[in-house]
Amino acid sequence: MDVHTEMLDLIGAWALDACEIDEAAAVEAHLNTCPTCAAEARRLRSAAGWLGLDGVLPVPEGLRHRTLTAARAKRPPALIRTLLGAYAGQASLLDGLLDGVRPDDWQRADPRHETVTGVVAHLAGNDAMLAADLGLRVVDIPAAAGPGVRDAWWEQTQVLMEGLADEAVLDQPVRMASSQRPPLRPLRDALVQRAFETWIHLDDIRAVIGKGQTTPPPEQVRRIVELAIELLPGALDAHGAARPGHTVRLVLDGAGGGEWTFPMGAEQPGGAEVTIQADAVEFTRLVANRRSPDTIRHSATGNQAVSAGVLRVAAMLGCD
Amino acid sequence: MPPDETDVRLRERLVAGDDDALAEAYDRWANLIHVLAARITDDAAAAEDITQDVFVRLWQAPEAYDPERGALRTWLCMLARSRALDWTRRREARARYHAVATATGAVVPDQPDVDDAVIWRTETKVVREAVQALPDLQREAVQLAYYHGHTYRQVARELNIPEGTAKSRLRLALSNIADRLAAEGILER
Repeated sequence: MDVHTEMLDLIGAWALDACEIDEAAAVEAHLNTCPTCAAEARRLRSAAGWLGLDGVLPVPEGLRHRTLTAARAKRPPALIRTLLGAYAGQASLLDGLLDGVRPDDWQRADPRHETVTGVVAHLAGNDAMLAADLGLRVVDIPAAAGPGVRDAWWEQTQVLMEGLADEAVLDQPVRMASSQRPPLRPLRDALVQRAFETWIHLDDIRAVIGKGQTTPPPEQVRRIVELAIELLPGALDAHGAARPGHTVRLVLDGAGGGEWTFPMGAEQPGGAEVTIQADAVEFTRLVANRRSPDTIRHSATGNQAVSAGVLRVAAMLGCD
Repeated sequence: MPPDETDVRLRERLVAGDDDALAEAYDRWANLIHVLAARITDDAAAAEDITQDVFVRLWQAPEAYDPERGALRTWLCMLARSRALDWTRRREARARYHAVATATGAVVPDQPDVDDAVIWRTETKVVREAVQALPDLQREAVQLAYYHGHTYRQVARELNIPEGTAKSRLRLALSNIADRLAAEGILER
């Protein structure tokens, strides 16, 4: 029997991990040189993989957290890669959406930036501001029809992603996108915001062309919430809504949710507490001003005027 | 069949240390890995530990997964299976030493009301039917190899058949399952 036939005979056993170790090594060596056997091996191995699906069993509560914590303890994540990965993920979703827009979609009306083209140009402008602060190349946005603007936006995202190496200083202060004067914040916050803003405009354009909303991955939702909570005390001060001696407990449900407590202003927190409960993703939409304090589904206990003030200021944190 | 683009990208992100990529892998496959570990070990605590081990391993050494050899999903399943079989063998060894039946938190799959249970149940049904549709001799051989971790030589001994026959039965059985899953749109042709 020639080697090929002998190996082909073994592939079923190999796919089930049912060979001896030396046989498995021989099969794998053969697969590197024989496309026919490699294709058959993939097919049978996939079938073997599906054999595990044998019923429905809820994964225990808490196992996700335990598993991710155990993994991070063994190998610390690279924060810069995580933040860039989230940004790249949203950019790639938006790029995929823009692939499918029809020529006349570019001129459809958007409530904040006139047209779909305007939304993409606005996003590219904010990406360019970050690139400028990092000393990276700024891509000019053409005063052209949608596709040209889209190309410039995409190119700018690539400049950012390729320009930020592993040794980027995440504490470096850069301008954040804002509807008012851009505040300076560490680069890590700006990267959370780039992913956040790209997702929000993705959903804006989806709404314009009649598609439904999307939801970011839970970890991304959590980072947006945490950034908002970091900004809130200062923002409450700036908008004259601070209440020294008051504390807010924010209870957010759903993917990316959790519980956070923060002071109602830069002063030390005090005893009087309001609790606001809402869905985590909805809260991030409020921060983007895509939900208003009146339309976000929530419950509040404690002083209602205080909780209304928190929601009002939270809705001013994002940019347009 | 070229490697799946999503798997290749996910692997790159894991190698780079992107923390969200791990969470994404967990959210996609934890359910499957956990069921598989529970099915083989019949022990709730072991199923949890194995699920955790599989994803910790993926995070620690994502390079070990080769997209050319198949889907990441398959790789994780086979890893979980081998860990589960190891655990089962250790338990059997302990039982032999102590001659004490281990008290197991028996696991009963098939509880409804799980997220995306509909897709899950459909796929489960298709897989089960594919296994049930096998000729008895093929099904017996696959179950010994997959769930009990027997090599084809042990399968041959167990079923009292020549080794060549055991090899070809395993290959035919998997090939039949692959055809059926492809016909149902679960596997690419």
